[in-house]
Amino acid sequence: MEDQIARDVVIAAPVERVWDLVTTAEHLGTWFGDDGADVDLRPGGALVLRWKEHSTVHGRVETVEPYSRFSFHWLTGGCDTPTADEPADGTSTLVEFTLAPEGDGTRLTVVESGFSTLALSPAAREERFASHTGGWAFELGELADHGARVAA
Amino acid sequence: MSIAAPPEVFAALADPTRWRVLDLLATRGEGTATTLAADLPVSRVAVVKHLGVLDRAGLVAGRRVGREVRYAVRPERLDETADWMRQLASAWDARLAALKALAEEAED
Repeated sequence: MEDQIARDVVIAAPVERVWDLVTTAEHLGTWFGDDGADVDLRPGGALVLRWKEHSTVHGRVETVEPYSRFSFHWLTGGCDTPTADEPADGTSTLVEFTLAPEGDGTRLTVVESGFSTLALSPAAREERFASHTGGWAFELGELADHGARVAA
Repeated sequence: MSIAAPPEVFAALADPTRWRVLDLLATRGEGTATTLAADLPVSRVAVVKHLGVLDRAGLVAGRRVGREVRYAVRPERLDETADWMRQLASAWDARLAALKALAEEAED
C-alpha cells in the first residue's frame, strides 16, 4: 500500500461522454455527491460536492485537460470530517482523473494521493520536499502482520 | 467511513529513516535506540527522536527494562491505517461503478 489510492474502470462509452460526467456539476452531484455540486471548471476554480447525509465538501480545481485529465484538491479528512474551509496544499488530498480511449470505450483511472502530507506543518512539508524524502511505497498490512507475528 | 483518518500515521511513516526503524523493529521484535542506531546511518540521538514520533503516532511502544527502553511495533495502528485505505478504495470503487452505470445508460 502506498500513500495513494489508484482505481480504474473501463466504461462502454466514448471519452467525450465520460468527460462530461466527470467534470460537470449536473453529473458530479449524482454519482459522486448525491445532493448536487458546483464546479468552476478551470485551474484554481472552486469545486463543491454535497451529500445529503454528510454535508458539503469543498475543493479546488487543479488541472483541466479536456477529454484526458481533470484533477482537484479536496478536504476529505478521511471522508468523515468534511470541512467548509478552503483546501490548502498539504491539508487536502489530490484527486486526479485520467481518461483514455480503449476500444470503443474509455478507461477511467482515479488516483487520490497526498495522505502523508495531511498532518505536516508547512515548515515540515517544506523541509520534506526540499530533501526529496517523499515517495515511499510499502505494504502497511504486511508490516503489521509481520509485527504481530514477531510480537506473538 | 467510521475509522478516524490517521494523518499522523502517514506523517510518521513519510520519513524513510522512521520507516527503517519500524521495519527493523518488526523484523527483530524489539530494539533500543542504541541497537537500532547500530544498523542505521544516523546517530542514537536521531533514533530517539524518530522513536518519539513513532510512539506519538501509536506505531511503537516502549517499556523500560533496567536502564534501557525497549521498543516494539504496535500492529493495531498499522492495521487501522490499512483498513482505512481499503475503505477509501471501496468508496472509489462504488463511485466509479455508479459513474459507469450512468455513462452506459442509453445516451439521451
